[in-house]
Amino acid sequence: MNKANRKSQLTSSLFVLPYLLLFTVFLLIPIIYGIWMSLHNWDLLSPVHEFVGLKNYLNIFDPASYLNNLFFTGLKNTLLFVVFSVPLLVVVGLGLALLINSLPARIRGLFRTVYFIPYSVSVSVVAIIWLWILDTNSGLINQYLQKFNLPVIAWLTDMPWAWISLVIATLWWTIGFNMIIFINALNDVSEELYEAGALDGASRWQRFRFITLPSIKPIMLFVLITSTIASFNIYGQPYLMTRGGPGDSTKVLLMNIVDEAFKQRQLGSAAAMSLLMALMMIIISVIQFRISNRKGVE
Amino acid sequence: MQNKAFKTTMVIVAIAVALVFLIPLFWMLATSFKNDFEAITAGIKWLPDTPTLENYLYSLGGTESDVPVLKWMSNSLLVGISGTLIVLVVDTLAAYGLARLDVPFKKTLISMFIGSLMIPWVITFLPLYMEFNKLGLLDTYAVLILPYSANAFGVFLLYQFFRGFPQSLEEAAYLDGANKWQVFTQIVLPSARPLIWTLAIFTFMSIYNDFLWPLVTTSSPEMRTITTGIAIMQQGSFVSSPGRLMALTSIATIPAVLLFIIGQRALIKGVTQSGIK
Repeated sequence: MNKANRKSQLTSSLFVLPYLLLFTVFLLIPIIYGIWMSLHNWDLLSPVHEFVGLKNYLNIFDPASYLNNLFFTGLKNTLLFVVFSVPLLVVVGLGLALLINSLPARIRGLFRTVYFIPYSVSVSVVAIIWLWILDTNSGLINQYLQKFNLPVIAWLTDMPWAWISLVIATLWWTIGFNMIIFINALNDVSEELYEAGALDGASRWQRFRFITLPSIKPIMLFVLITSTIASFNIYGQPYLMTRGGPGDSTKVLLMNIVDEAFKQRQLGSAAAMSLLMALMMIIISVIQFRISNRKGVE
Repeated sequence: MQNKAFKTTMVIVAIAVALVFLIPLFWMLATSFKNDFEAITAGIKWLPDTPTLENYLYSLGGTESDVPVLKWMSNSLLVGISGTLIVLVVDTLAAYGLARLDVPFKKTLISMFIGSLMIPWVITFLPLYMEFNKLGLLDTYAVLILPYSANAFGVFLLYQFFRGFPQSLEEAAYLDGANKWQVFTQIVLPSARPLIWTLAIFTFMSIYNDFLWPLVTTSSPEMRTITTGIAIMQQGSFVSSPGRLMALTSIATIPAVLLFIIGQRALIKGVTQSGIK
């Protein structure tokens, strides 16, 4: 009996083994290796890496070190993008879902597909398309502004337009994903609640405010957290569209980490920056989760 | 009456919004058929005056233009397809093992895998780079394919499904003398087919569209993926030619959009499943 059990456990383990192996090599080991790297003066080209303890972290928090500026300016810019983009990603996503659901059933699928199409293209295509549309001289938008005798806008080189351009391109690219999640959430709201609401003479707005919103709250939280994480990871849009400019004003944290790692070749301090960035992301997700849950209790 | 007016208004709004989504793509296509003189100076031309295929011929020209677009496309397809296949094989096996079989340390493994979903990707970015650097595998297909296989999303998605799958079918098969492998391949896998398709499209699209990882781990022109390749062209020799750039992006976009429209149902289903949990 015992022997048969062992044999069964062994064959069962074989099912999990391949994934466990990949998980270990490409996730578990890198996490530990990353912490290890962050404790060293890790020059990419040097074969010897000197152990420096927490020096990389201390430098990040030392105003006299260039790392301090690199990390906190980058973080500020990333946070600005999060603050500009996330509310729109949530609200516009929900708005589009409501719009789709108010359409006659036969054309819903068509519009859902159309709004979702940009999600399938890659960030470099998104950047190239929008660079061309927002081009100061030959761009579509500025040409129309000129046509109506309005002043042209330097979309990518003036503030706050550079941020606005990045947010527009991001919304166009990814909003369909949030919309789909909201459409599914809306369809799961019980019909009976709406019928009861209609019987009580609730207006369209009241039904939305008192039936729809409370019912989809968990999904809103999910969208809020995933959008925040996605916006935190922003890289391609500013890298390709504004090159971090004007000046350094759209140079986000991930761009600074990549520069520190591959231009300065300082992987130790770059790894420390990555770990702090990840920590920030985890803390923000937990806070969002806590706050939304507390409101739920009231 | 009021309801009908509301519906009509909504349809009009929906069409206006649809234009916002489609115009950038249309403008890309329109520009790709224009010569650069027309693209830059002719003003707002929704259709080219003198349509030309020059930009496409140049971009696809290979040696003459030193832009290996077709090589990049095939790299992206190869990397996307093989990365997806690895994910499908290891994820279905692991998820089934964890959901149904007597795997030792099952609880620990499950919480470890699910917990890993909360770990931001940026943590592993540089150490993974160093790992491949030490193994001498930078600028190879391995570095472009393997790292995606560690993602626990698919394991989690399939695990949920297998847990809810009725056990009676499997039990009947065991009574008939089938072993675990036979039950898995002949009974469980076919029933999970829709979800496997969802995972496949999700995985393929995220690998195909990934940007930063292939950008830093490849260096030779012939190892680029289409996404990183066009980014480099945009900053390099195509920078002053909107027509050529738009032809290049159109070539990269058309297969992705077609695949997307075909796979849309499965993808939407996947978004739902990932959203609910």
